[in-house]
Amino acid sequence: MKQGVCTLAFLVVAYSAAAHHSFPAQYDVDKPITLTGKVTKVEWTNPHIFIYADVPDASGAPVSWAFEMGGPNALLRQGWKRDSLKAGDLVTFEGSLARDGSNLVNARTVTMTDTGRKMFAGSSGGDQAPAAK
Amino acid sequence: MLSVSRLGFGRAAAVLAALLASAPAAAQWVGYPTPHVPRKADGKVDMTAPTPRLANGKPDFTGIWISDRTEPGQETISDTSSLPSGRHMQDMGVDMEGGLPYQPWQLPIVKKRTENLAIEDPHIRCLPDFFLRAYGLPHMLKWVHTPDILVMLNEMNAGYRQIFTDARALPDTPSPAWQGYSSAKWDGDTLVVDTIGMRDDTWIDWHGSVVTEAAKIHEEIRRLDFGHIEIKATVDDPKGYTKPWSITMRQRVVVDAELIDEICLENEQFVKRMGLDGETKE
Repeated sequence: MKQGVCTLAFLVVAYSAAAHHSFPAQYDVDKPITLTGKVTKVEWTNPHIFIYADVPDASGAPVSWAFEMGGPNALLRQGWKRDSLKAGDLVTFEGSLARDGSNLVNARTVTMTDTGRKMFAGSSGGDQAPAAK
Repeated sequence: MLSVSRLGFGRAAAVLAALLASAPAAAQWVGYPTPHVPRKADGKVDMTAPTPRLANGKPDFTGIWISDRTEPGQETISDTSSLPSGRHMQDMGVDMEGGLPYQPWQLPIVKKRTENLAIEDPHIRCLPDFFLRAYGLPHMLKWVHTPDILVMLNEMNAGYRQIFTDARALPDTPSPAWQGYSSAKWDGDTLVVDTIGMRDDTWIDWHGSVVTEAAKIHEEIRRLDFGHIEIKATVDDPKGYTKPWSITMRQRVVVDAELIDEICLENEQFVKRMGLDGETKE
């Protein structure tokens, strides 16, 4: 991962970035969530990328979660590559929960556990994304 | 062009392998320098440099354009890391006293679409974005301009709009089209574009306001300088609105970038996850 990715700061308004669909119709910005898990699958696809990861529940059993991110074009312009995340990577996602209660999150940032690097996830939600560190 | 017959299969395979091996570095041309860009001493783009010209002396609109958002706090976006959306994207009548002059039949439709957060939006269903709306959506537009035609490519869904600049007559009975039919002529350095032949229920903003088959759209497009384009659009649609209305939008040039595939149907999941496809939600 390029170091440059981690130094970018972003100002994001609602519906900007990879605004393919109405964020508030699907996600609740008032339900922020942070989850750490092991990546099991990367769907580097349009209009939005989906990352699937196993997140341990209270008993430690892996539970599959899906994390929606920006589209490939938005992420590529931010310095991502299609192999920036790979199956087996341990990462922490910050984002907003889906309104329907499913294991679905609109990810705002992704932090690599091994390096601590935080990357903007190209989310279309929230009034303002935090600056990547 | 190289051919297998001239190179022999083994050499051709080697050439192909070399090409593939070198492809990743330039696969998306992210950051590849755009030619003919005026720059300041510090290397930054001179956004107020003179307007480029076509061979016929008229302004050249060629370039990649995004909405030039100008509200306080939003003009600081200076790269392509996050594409801005225009202030008219959600409500085309945001600057109008009383809002858009809807015909009564549009009012309950817009109200419903606003309240349900635009889940019926054709954009969500991966259908083409109408050009008035595309000026404000956070997707890159690439304009390719010659003396005879202006083509607006939309990164989203590989869309296109053609504006014929030969002042040709508009069709008498146009088959409804997602971008209509556009003919233009120059008035000094202003390209004057007239468009008809849109589809009924063509969304123009996130609230679900529409133009109809009866709409006539008149645009006056100017490239103010190297970095900016201004579009004044007047919509005359007696079927959809009680009176003509006008809007002015600005675009800002983007350099050192290229269009990157954004084909929505590739893995669109919103409609299914929201149970909007008529099938049982998982």
